[in-house]
Amino acid sequence: MRLIGLAVLALAAGLYLGFGSDPLGAVLFRLDPGLLNLVQAVVQRYLLPMLWDNVLLPVLEAPVWVVPLVLGAALTIFGWMRARG
Amino acid sequence: MHILKSRPWNLPESSATPEALVFGRRKALGLGAGMLAATPALAQQAGLPPAMRNTRYAPGRAITAEREVTTYNNFYEFGSHKTISAAAQRMPQRPWTVKVEGMVEAPREYDIDDLLRRMPIEERVYRLRCVEAWAMVVPWTGFPLSALLAEVKPLSSARYVVFQTATLPSVMPGLRQSWYPWPYTEGCTIAEAGNELSFMVVGAYGKLLPPQNGGPLRFHQPWKYGFKAGKSLVSIRLTDQRPVSFWEKIQSQEYGFWANVNPAVPHPRWSQAQERMLGTGESVPTMLFNGYGDFVADLYTGLQRERLWA
Repeated sequence: MRLIGLAVLALAAGLYLGFGSDPLGAVLFRLDPGLLNLVQAVVQRYLLPMLWDNVLLPVLEAPVWVVPLVLGAALTIFGWMRARG
Repeated sequence: MHILKSRPWNLPESSATPEALVFGRRKALGLGAGMLAATPALAQQAGLPPAMRNTRYAPGRAITAEREVTTYNNFYEFGSHKTISAAAQRMPQRPWTVKVEGMVEAPREYDIDDLLRRMPIEERVYRLRCVEAWAMVVPWTGFPLSALLAEVKPLSSARYVVFQTATLPSVMPGLRQSWYPWPYTEGCTIAEAGNELSFMVVGAYGKLLPPQNGGPLRFHQPWKYGFKAGKSLVSIRLTDQRPVSFWEKIQSQEYGFWANVNPAVPHPRWSQAQERMLGTGESVPTMLFNGYGDFVADLYTGLQRERLWA
Protein backbone atom coordinates (compact mmCIF):
# COMPACT_ATOMS: atom_id res chain seq x y z
CA MET A 1 0.00 0.00 0.00
CA ARG A 2 2.89 2.30 0.76
CA LEU A 3 4.22 1.74 -2.75
CA ILE A 4 0.82 2.61 -4.26
CA GLY A 5 0.72 5.72 -2.09
CA LEU A 6 4.18 6.77 -3.25
CA ALA A 7 3.14 6.17 -6.87
CA VAL A 8 0.08 8.39 -6.44
CA LEU A 9 2.29 11.06 -4.83
CA ALA A 10 4.58 10.84 -7.85
CA LEU A 11 1.51 11.31 -10.04
CA ALA A 12 0.63 14.45 -8.05
CA ALA A 13 4.14 15.78 -8.65
CA GLY A 14 3.90 14.97 -12.35
CA LEU A 15 0.57 16.76 -12.64
CA TYR A 16 2.05 19.79 -10.90
CA LEU A 17 4.95 19.84 -13.34
CA GLY A 18 2.63 19.34 -16.31
CA PHE A 19 -0.31 21.57 -15.44
CA GLY A 20 0.88 23.81 -12.61
CA SER A 21 -2.07 24.89 -10.48
CA ASP A 22 -4.75 24.58 -13.16
CA PRO A 23 -8.05 23.37 -11.69
CA LEU A 24 -8.81 19.68 -12.07
CA GLY A 25 -11.97 20.62 -13.98
CA ALA A 26 -9.99 22.66 -16.50
CA VAL A 27 -7.59 19.79 -17.14
CA LEU A 28 -10.45 17.30 -17.59
CA PHE A 29 -12.20 19.76 -19.91
CA ARG A 30 -9.04 20.00 -22.02
CA LEU A 31 -8.83 16.22 -22.25
CA ASP A 32 -12.54 15.67 -23.02
CA PRO A 33 -14.71 18.81 -23.38
CA GLY A 34 -18.00 16.93 -23.05
CA LEU A 35 -17.12 14.76 -20.07
CA LEU A 36 -17.93 17.08 -17.15
CA ASN A 37 -21.18 18.26 -18.73
CA LEU A 38 -22.35 14.66 -18.95
CA VAL A 39 -21.26 13.85 -15.38
CA GLN A 40 -22.93 17.01 -14.07
CA ALA A 41 -26.18 16.15 -15.85
CA VAL A 42 -26.21 12.64 -14.37
CA VAL A 43 -25.40 13.86 -10.85
CA GLN A 44 -27.78 16.82 -10.79
CA ARG A 45 -30.71 15.25 -12.64
CA TYR A 46 -30.63 11.71 -11.27
CA LEU A 47 -28.87 11.97 -7.90
CA LEU A 48 -28.84 15.29 -6.06
CA PRO A 49 -28.15 18.81 -7.39
CA MET A 50 -26.36 19.84 -4.19
CA LEU A 51 -23.95 16.91 -4.53
CA TRP A 52 -22.48 18.62 -7.57
CA ASP A 53 -22.49 22.17 -6.20
CA ASN A 54 -21.17 21.41 -2.72
CA VAL A 55 -19.01 18.31 -3.10
CA LEU A 56 -17.82 17.62 -6.62
CA LEU A 57 -17.47 21.21 -7.81
CA PRO A 58 -15.08 22.24 -4.99
CA VAL A 59 -12.92 19.22 -5.90
CA LEU A 60 -12.96 20.22 -9.57
CA GLU A 61 -12.07 23.80 -8.69
CA ALA A 62 -9.00 22.69 -6.71
CA PRO A 63 -5.57 22.46 -8.40
CA VAL A 64 -5.22 19.27 -10.42
CA TRP A 65 -2.57 17.82 -8.06
CA VAL A 66 -4.60 18.18 -4.84
CA VAL A 67 -6.65 14.98 -5.13
CA PRO A 68 -3.66 12.68 -5.87
CA LEU A 69 -1.61 14.48 -3.21
CA VAL A 70 -4.21 13.86 -0.50
CA LEU A 71 -4.92 10.34 -1.68
CA GLY A 72 -1.23 9.47 -2.02
CA ALA A 73 -0.41 10.89 1.39
CA ALA A 74 -3.26 8.99 3.01
CA LEU A 75 -2.24 5.70 1.38
CA THR A 76 1.40 6.20 2.30
CA ILE A 77 0.66 7.01 5.94
CA PHE A 78 -1.89 4.18 6.24
CA GLY A 79 0.60 1.72 4.68
CA TRP A 80 3.37 2.87 7.00
CA MET A 81 1.13 2.47 10.06
CA ARG A 82 0.10 -1.03 8.99
CA ALA A 83 3.73 -2.03 8.41
CA ARG A 84 4.58 -0.92 11.94
CA GLY A 85 1.81 -3.19 13.23
CA MET B 1 -58.56 6.86 -52.61
CA HIS B 2 -59.15 9.11 -49.65
CA ILE B 3 -55.80 10.09 -48.12
CA LEU B 4 -55.65 11.61 -44.65
CA LYS B 5 -52.70 13.96 -44.37
CA SER B 6 -51.82 15.29 -40.93
CA ARG B 7 -51.48 19.07 -40.81
CA PRO B 8 -49.50 21.05 -38.25
CA TRP B 9 -52.72 22.45 -36.82
CA ASN B 10 -54.36 19.05 -36.29
CA LEU B 11 -55.00 18.45 -32.60
CA PRO B 12 -55.01 15.09 -30.86
CA GLU B 13 -58.20 14.28 -28.97
CA SER B 14 -56.29 14.43 -25.69
CA SER B 15 -55.59 18.15 -26.22
CA ALA B 16 -59.27 19.06 -26.22
CA THR B 17 -60.40 21.17 -23.27
CA PRO B 18 -63.10 19.48 -21.14
CA GLU B 19 -66.65 20.59 -22.02
CA ALA B 20 -67.41 21.84 -18.51
CA LEU B 21 -64.39 24.10 -18.53
CA VAL B 22 -65.26 25.51 -21.95
CA PHE B 23 -68.83 26.45 -21.02
CA GLY B 24 -67.86 27.64 -17.58
CA ARG B 25 -64.67 29.43 -18.49
CA ARG B 26 -65.85 32.97 -17.86
CA LYS B 27 -66.99 31.99 -14.43
CA ALA B 28 -63.79 30.05 -13.83
CA LEU B 29 -61.62 32.95 -14.94
CA GLY B 30 -63.76 35.59 -13.34
CA LEU B 31 -63.88 37.47 -16.62
CA GLY B 32 -66.79 39.27 -18.19
CA ALA B 33 -65.20 39.67 -21.57
CA GLY B 34 -63.34 37.49 -24.07
CA MET B 35 -59.78 36.39 -23.41
CA LEU B 36 -58.26 38.53 -26.12
CA ALA B 37 -59.78 41.66 -24.72
CA ALA B 38 -58.58 40.75 -21.26
CA THR B 39 -54.96 40.27 -22.25
CA PRO B 40 -53.94 43.95 -22.37
CA ALA B 41 -55.38 44.61 -18.93
CA LEU B 42 -53.52 41.64 -17.45
CA ALA B 43 -50.33 42.78 -19.10
CA GLN B 44 -50.62 46.36 -17.83
CA GLN B 45 -51.13 45.10 -14.34
CA ALA B 46 -47.93 43.07 -14.58
CA GLY B 47 -45.79 45.91 -15.93
CA LEU B 48 -45.89 44.90 -19.58
CA PRO B 49 -47.22 47.19 -22.28
CA PRO B 50 -50.58 46.12 -23.75
CA ALA B 51 -50.08 43.11 -26.02
CA MET B 52 -52.69 41.74 -28.37
CA ARG B 53 -52.28 38.16 -29.51
CA ASN B 54 -51.04 37.76 -33.07
CA THR B 55 -53.17 34.91 -34.41
CA ARG B 56 -51.00 34.39 -37.49
CA TYR B 57 -48.87 31.98 -35.50
CA ALA B 58 -51.46 29.54 -34.15
CA PRO B 59 -49.53 26.68 -32.53
CA GLY B 60 -52.06 23.92 -33.27
CA ARG B 61 -51.62 22.57 -29.76
CA ALA B 62 -52.94 23.40 -26.35
CA ILE B 63 -50.98 25.98 -24.35
CA THR B 64 -48.81 24.37 -21.68
CA ALA B 65 -49.71 25.19 -18.09
CA GLU B 66 -47.80 28.21 -16.79
CA ARG B 67 -46.61 26.31 -13.74
CA GLU B 68 -44.93 23.68 -15.92
CA VAL B 69 -43.17 26.26 -18.05
CA THR B 70 -41.91 28.28 -15.10
CA THR B 71 -40.68 25.34 -12.98
CA TYR B 72 -39.02 23.09 -15.57
CA ASN B 73 -36.13 25.09 -16.93
CA ASN B 74 -32.81 24.81 -18.70
CA PHE B 75 -30.49 27.62 -17.65
CA TYR B 76 -26.97 26.25 -17.43
CA GLU B 77 -25.60 29.18 -15.44
CA PHE B 78 -27.81 27.96 -12.58
CA GLY B 79 -27.18 24.23 -13.00
CA SER B 80 -27.77 21.27 -15.25
CA HIS B 81 -30.97 20.13 -13.53
CA LYS B 82 -34.49 21.41 -14.21
CA THR B 83 -35.36 22.85 -10.81
CA ILE B 84 -33.34 26.04 -11.04
CA SER B 85 -36.32 28.39 -10.76
CA ALA B 86 -35.77 29.24 -7.08
CA ALA B 87 -32.06 29.96 -7.57
CA ALA B 88 -32.81 32.12 -10.61
CA GLN B 89 -34.98 34.44 -8.51
CA ARG B 90 -31.73 35.90 -7.14
CA MET B 91 -30.90 37.34 -10.56
CA PRO B 92 -31.85 41.03 -10.52
CA GLN B 93 -34.15 42.03 -13.38
CA ARG B 94 -33.98 45.81 -12.97
CA PRO B 95 -32.06 47.89 -13.82
CA TRP B 96 -31.17 45.97 -16.97
CA THR B 97 -29.56 47.17 -20.16
CA VAL B 98 -28.85 45.48 -23.45
CA LYS B 99 -26.32 46.69 -26.01
CA VAL B 100 -27.00 46.39 -29.71
CA GLU B 101 -23.61 46.81 -31.29
CA GLY B 102 -21.10 45.70 -33.87
CA MET B 103 -21.71 46.17 -37.57
CA VAL B 104 -24.60 48.62 -37.33
CA GLU B 105 -24.98 52.27 -38.29
CA ALA B 106 -26.45 53.30 -34.96
CA PRO B 107 -25.18 51.18 -32.05
CA ARG B 108 -26.89 51.88 -28.77
CA GLU B 109 -27.55 50.64 -25.29
CA TYR B 110 -31.19 50.22 -24.26
CA ASP B 111 -32.67 50.27 -20.82
CA ILE B 112 -35.09 47.34 -20.83
CA ASP B 113 -38.11 49.47 -19.92
CA ASP B 114 -37.22 52.01 -22.61
CA LEU B 115 -36.98 49.13 -25.06
CA LEU B 116 -40.45 47.94 -24.06
CA ARG B 117 -41.84 51.40 -24.78
CA ARG B 118 -40.15 51.68 -28.17
CA MET B 119 -40.91 48.27 -29.66
CA PRO B 120 -44.18 46.97 -31.18
CA ILE B 121 -45.21 44.61 -28.39
CA GLU B 122 -47.46 41.66 -29.22
CA GLU B 123 -48.24 38.18 -27.96
CA ARG B 124 -47.39 35.08 -29.96
CA VAL B 125 -48.15 31.50 -29.02
CA TYR B 126 -45.17 29.45 -30.18
CA ARG B 127 -44.18 25.84 -29.87
CA LEU B 128 -40.80 25.26 -28.24
CA ARG B 129 -38.91 22.04 -28.92
CA CYS B 130 -35.98 21.23 -26.67
CA VAL B 131 -33.09 19.21 -28.06
CA GLU B 132 -33.71 16.89 -25.08
CA ALA B 133 -36.95 15.73 -26.77
CA TRP B 134 -39.48 17.57 -24.62
CA ALA B 135 -41.71 20.36 -25.83
CA MET B 136 -44.09 23.06 -24.66
CA VAL B 137 -46.42 25.69 -26.06
CA VAL B 138 -46.05 29.17 -24.57
CA PRO B 139 -47.81 32.52 -25.05
CA TRP B 140 -44.77 34.78 -25.27
CA THR B 141 -44.97 38.57 -25.19
CA GLY B 142 -42.35 40.43 -27.14
CA PHE B 143 -41.44 42.02 -30.43
CA PRO B 144 -39.92 40.90 -33.74
CA LEU B 145 -36.13 41.06 -33.79
CA SER B 146 -36.46 42.76 -37.17
CA ALA B 147 -38.03 45.79 -35.44
CA LEU B 148 -34.98 46.17 -33.22
CA LEU B 149 -32.58 45.71 -36.12
CA ALA B 150 -34.45 48.37 -38.08
CA GLU B 151 -33.60 50.87 -35.31
CA VAL B 152 -29.88 50.21 -35.34
CA LYS B 153 -29.58 49.76 -39.11
CA PRO B 154 -27.28 46.80 -39.84
CA LEU B 155 -24.41 47.43 -42.24
CA SER B 156 -24.61 45.53 -45.51
CA SER B 157 -21.48 43.63 -44.48
CA ALA B 158 -23.16 42.17 -41.35
CA ARG B 159 -23.86 38.46 -41.84
CA TYR B 160 -24.49 37.09 -38.36
CA VAL B 161 -26.17 38.12 -35.12
CA VAL B 162 -24.59 37.03 -31.82
CA PHE B 163 -26.58 36.93 -28.57
CA GLN B 164 -24.78 37.08 -25.25
CA THR B 165 -26.21 36.15 -21.87
CA ALA B 166 -25.41 38.04 -18.66
CA THR B 167 -22.57 36.79 -16.47
CA LEU B 168 -23.41 37.37 -12.82
CA PRO B 169 -21.07 35.21 -10.73
CA SER B 170 -22.66 36.26 -7.45
CA VAL B 171 -25.96 34.62 -8.39
CA MET B 172 -24.98 32.07 -11.07
CA PRO B 173 -23.24 29.06 -9.50
CA GLY B 174 -22.51 27.54 -12.89
CA LEU B 175 -19.97 30.25 -13.59
CA ARG B 176 -17.72 28.67 -10.95
CA GLN B 177 -16.90 26.18 -13.68
CA SER B 178 -14.26 28.50 -15.07
CA TRP B 179 -13.19 26.01 -17.74
CA TYR B 180 -16.35 26.55 -19.76
CA PRO B 181 -16.40 29.23 -22.47
CA TRP B 182 -18.59 31.74 -20.64
CA PRO B 183 -20.46 33.92 -21.37
CA TYR B 184 -23.21 31.84 -22.97
CA THR B 185 -23.34 32.93 -26.58
CA GLU B 186 -25.58 31.88 -29.42
CA GLY B 187 -26.03 33.15 -32.93
CA CYS B 188 -27.83 32.97 -36.22
CA THR B 189 -27.48 34.37 -39.71
CA ILE B 190 -28.75 37.82 -40.53
CA ALA B 191 -31.35 36.19 -42.80
CA GLU B 192 -32.62 34.03 -39.94
CA ALA B 193 -32.66 37.05 -37.64
CA GLY B 194 -34.78 38.95 -40.16
CA ASN B 195 -37.31 36.16 -40.50
CA GLU B 196 -40.72 37.16 -39.19
CA LEU B 197 -40.71 34.35 -36.60
CA SER B 198 -37.55 35.58 -34.83
CA PHE B 199 -38.90 37.00 -31.63
CA MET B 200 -37.42 38.92 -28.71
CA VAL B 201 -39.31 37.78 -25.62
CA VAL B 202 -40.02 40.04 -22.63
CA GLY B 203 -43.05 38.28 -21.15
CA ALA B 204 -45.00 35.06 -20.86
CA TYR B 205 -48.60 34.35 -19.88
CA GLY B 206 -49.29 38.08 -19.81
CA LYS B 207 -46.60 38.78 -17.20
CA LEU B 208 -43.03 39.95 -17.27
CA LEU B 209 -40.71 37.12 -18.28
CA PRO B 210 -39.48 35.42 -15.09
CA PRO B 211 -35.73 35.07 -14.60
CA GLN B 212 -35.74 31.29 -14.84
CA ASN B 213 -37.19 31.57 -18.35
CA GLY B 214 -34.57 34.10 -19.41
CA GLY B 215 -36.01 37.35 -18.11
CA PRO B 216 -35.98 40.16 -18.65
CA LEU B 217 -35.09 39.58 -22.31
CA ARG B 218 -34.54 36.40 -24.31
CA PHE B 219 -34.57 35.31 -27.90
CA HIS B 220 -36.69 32.64 -29.54
CA GLN B 221 -36.69 31.07 -32.98
CA PRO B 222 -39.37 28.38 -32.76
CA TRP B 223 -38.08 26.27 -35.64
CA LYS B 224 -34.77 25.64 -33.87
CA TYR B 225 -33.95 23.60 -30.80
CA GLY B 226 -34.37 25.59 -27.60
CA PHE B 227 -30.69 25.87 -26.70
CA LYS B 228 -30.32 28.32 -29.60
CA ALA B 229 -32.39 30.83 -27.65
CA GLY B 230 -30.13 33.02 -25.57
CA LYS B 231 -31.60 34.01 -22.19
CA SER B 232 -31.19 37.11 -20.02
CA LEU B 233 -29.46 38.94 -22.84
CA VAL B 234 -27.04 41.82 -22.31
CA SER B 235 -25.60 42.09 -25.81
CA ILE B 236 -26.76 41.63 -29.38
CA ARG B 237 -23.84 42.01 -31.76
CA LEU B 238 -23.83 42.03 -35.54
CA THR B 239 -20.73 40.65 -37.21
CA ASP B 240 -19.36 39.25 -40.44
CA GLN B 241 -17.81 36.28 -38.61
CA ARG B 242 -19.83 33.14 -37.92
CA PRO B 243 -19.89 32.77 -34.13
CA VAL B 244 -18.93 29.57 -32.36
CA SER B 245 -21.60 29.21 -29.74
CA PHE B 246 -21.20 28.05 -26.14
CA TRP B 247 -22.42 24.50 -26.72
CA GLU B 248 -20.67 24.24 -30.05
CA LYS B 249 -17.36 24.83 -28.25
CA ILE B 250 -18.15 22.10 -25.74
CA GLN B 251 -19.87 19.43 -27.86
CA SER B 252 -20.02 20.45 -31.49
CA GLN B 253 -21.14 17.02 -32.63
CA GLU B 254 -24.27 17.30 -30.50
CA TYR B 255 -25.04 21.03 -30.58
CA GLY B 256 -24.19 22.73 -33.85
CA PHE B 257 -24.65 26.19 -35.26
CA TRP B 258 -27.87 25.62 -37.20
CA ALA B 259 -29.78 23.22 -34.95
CA ASN B 260 -33.02 23.24 -36.93
CA VAL B 261 -35.60 20.78 -35.65
CA ASN B 262 -35.73 17.62 -37.72
CA PRO B 263 -37.36 14.39 -36.51
CA ALA B 264 -35.38 12.33 -39.02
CA VAL B 265 -31.97 13.32 -37.65
CA PRO B 266 -31.35 11.77 -34.24
CA HIS B 267 -29.23 13.29 -31.52
CA PRO B 268 -26.11 11.12 -31.09
CA ARG B 269 -27.63 9.66 -27.92
CA TRP B 270 -31.40 9.66 -28.55
CA SER B 271 -34.09 9.86 -31.22
CA GLN B 272 -35.69 13.15 -32.20
CA ALA B 273 -38.72 11.53 -33.84
CA GLN B 274 -41.06 12.15 -30.89
CA GLU B 275 -41.39 14.80 -28.23
CA ARG B 276 -42.86 14.65 -24.74
CA MET B 277 -45.28 17.47 -23.99
CA LEU B 278 -44.64 19.17 -20.66
CA GLY B 279 -47.61 18.88 -18.37
CA THR B 280 -49.52 16.12 -20.11
CA GLY B 281 -46.55 13.81 -20.71
CA GLU B 282 -48.10 12.96 -24.04
CA SER B 283 -45.70 11.78 -26.72
CA VAL B 284 -46.33 13.40 -30.10
CA PRO B 285 -44.48 13.24 -33.42
CA THR B 286 -41.89 15.95 -33.94
CA MET B 287 -42.34 18.02 -37.09
CA LEU B 288 -39.69 19.23 -39.52
CA PHE B 289 -38.71 22.80 -38.54
CA ASN B 290 -40.97 22.21 -35.53
CA GLY B 291 -43.92 22.71 -37.89
CA TYR B 292 -42.80 26.15 -39.09
CA GLY B 293 -41.45 25.01 -42.45
CA ASP B 294 -43.83 27.26 -44.40
CA PHE B 295 -42.15 30.27 -42.78
CA VAL B 296 -38.50 29.25 -42.81
CA ALA B 297 -37.67 26.45 -45.27
CA ASP B 298 -36.62 28.99 -47.90
CA LEU B 299 -33.85 30.23 -45.62
CA TYR B 300 -31.91 27.04 -46.22
CA THR B 301 -32.08 26.79 -49.99
CA GLY B 302 -28.59 26.03 -51.27
CA LEU B 303 -27.25 25.15 -47.82
CA GLN B 304 -27.59 21.38 -48.13
CA ARG B 305 -23.87 20.94 -47.48
CA GLU B 306 -24.22 22.56 -44.05
CA ARG B 307 -25.06 20.48 -40.99
CA LEU B 308 -28.51 22.06 -40.71
CA TRP B 309 -30.11 19.68 -38.24
CA ALA B 310 -27.91 19.43 -35.18
